[in-house]
Amino acid sequence: MTTFITILIFAITGIVAVASLTLARYWFVQLRNATTEIEKAIHDVDTAQNEGETARIHGCIDRTRRRQAEAVFDVLRDAVIVVDAHGEILHANAAASGLLSVTPEEAAGKVMTDVVNDHQLASTISAARNGLPTEGRLCEQELFFNSEPVSYEVHLQSVGGHEEPMHAVVTVLRDLSREREVARLKSDFVSKASHELRTPLSSISAYIEMLVDGDAEDEDARQEFYKVISTETDRLRRLIDNLLNISRIEAGLMHIEREQVQIGELVERAVQSMMHQAKENNLDIHTKLAQVDLTITGDSDMLYQVIVNLLSNAIKYTPQGGRITVAADADHLTRSLHLSVADTGLGIAPDETEKVFDKFYRVENYRRIANGTGLGLNLCRHIVETLHNGQIGLDSTLGMGSRFWFTIPMQERTGRVAA
Amino acid sequence: MTHRILVVDDETHILQVLSLKLRNSGFEVSTAVDGEDALRQALDNPPDLIITDIQMPYMNGIELCSALVENKATTHIPVVVITARGHTLAQSDTDIANVRDVISKPFSPRGVAELATSILSEIPAQNAPRSEAA
Repeated sequence: MTTFITILIFAITGIVAVASLTLARYWFVQLRNATTEIEKAIHDVDTAQNEGETARIHGCIDRTRRRQAEAVFDVLRDAVIVVDAHGEILHANAAASGLLSVTPEEAAGKVMTDVVNDHQLASTISAARNGLPTEGRLCEQELFFNSEPVSYEVHLQSVGGHEEPMHAVVTVLRDLSREREVARLKSDFVSKASHELRTPLSSISAYIEMLVDGDAEDEDARQEFYKVISTETDRLRRLIDNLLNISRIEAGLMHIEREQVQIGELVERAVQSMMHQAKENNLDIHTKLAQVDLTITGDSDMLYQVIVNLLSNAIKYTPQGGRITVAADADHLTRSLHLSVADTGLGIAPDETEKVFDKFYRVENYRRIANGTGLGLNLCRHIVETLHNGQIGLDSTLGMGSRFWFTIPMQERTGRVAA
Repeated sequence: MTHRILVVDDETHILQVLSLKLRNSGFEVSTAVDGEDALRQALDNPPDLIITDIQMPYMNGIELCSALVENKATTHIPVVVITARGHTLAQSDTDIANVRDVISKPFSPRGVAELATSILSEIPAQNAPRSEAA
């Protein structure tokens, strides 16, 4: 029995596909403790005075090893069900509880088909008892876990020869819900990205075809076509740049330059670069910089990009004659820098204020007002929160205007940066 | 009698380029910037053909197609759908009775004009624009 349990422990360890470092460490400690206890017990056997005492010590070894095996099974995230040569459950771990009609402890010694809820799983395990390839069998099944359908990767492996009395089938079930969700999100992202890329591409290819076909009636029309091709190419380039930057930040691959940044200088430079666009829309830009030290440690180019992006949005969505205010101050209590860009524009409804920072989210009613990539604010959030340990947000009243703000710690802290 | 086409898209550049190509191909063209605007115009003055984008504010292209089918005055109008969603468009979306064809972005204005010519060659042009609502 002792040998069998030892074989079982190693067999199960071998077939659990993804073992975390923590689990491996736990394993090591458990095995080392078990080994110490067993070595001591073996030593005791050697010095035992009579058969009764020897049997007691052997029993102690068996129980210790069983407890160790069960403890290891129970920390596994994967469900494990072990069925013996008689079709009875030898052990089911804590993660398997949702697949059983009784608790894992109660399941031990019961006929497997009586306690495994899902008929498909019971059939799969029953079939495996009649023979499995040496390397085991791997399949995917949708099973009922606590009455809910869940996709599982099911791995079945024989322990001991089929003709041996110690023969058992070990079933390890890995919940695939997270993998499926990641795949769904990835597919959704690719679909949205593809949609956003096709839109400017459509304009570019359509206007080029019009030029080729001679549909522009005069030089002015031709110049107009060239202008559309140029602006849409620029939109496509911004979209691709934003996509790549967001993807690199999310993957932890963005390299940022950490330097002392004078936020006042950045604000003035950003306002200067957007002033022409603001004047074209008959908008005033005001700056309110507190007369305190506004120096932070961060990436100057990226923070400049955030301020320009917020200013650009304010200009796009504020009707002519409006006012935009860029303010910066330092909060000495929280030791953080506060920067805000407020406008007297259209404002955003309360149920949309959080969504505007999501990838590809665009306030539906504003699509017609201005072109955008739907990625600018998401990139701002990544630059502020992921790379600078800050926070970004929005206060807005529909019809009254919006105030986008961000805070960044003033003392140096390490963001998620990779070389 | 010249056939009249209603072009619907919230992207100004697409609206302009399609309108110009269709006018240059001999059609009368009117434009709408979203589904609601298009439905209002179609009820008021039914065109011979509608060419619409799918993703638009207020009422999208699929909702527009369904609304047109449900309304007696517009149920007969053929619709060409232009989509940037590619293969993700559900079959049920294009099974609506009035959808004659689906074009993927990026598209050829020349191709759209040829398709409009082909569809409208089977349909007699409507009467002159009406002033009262249908």
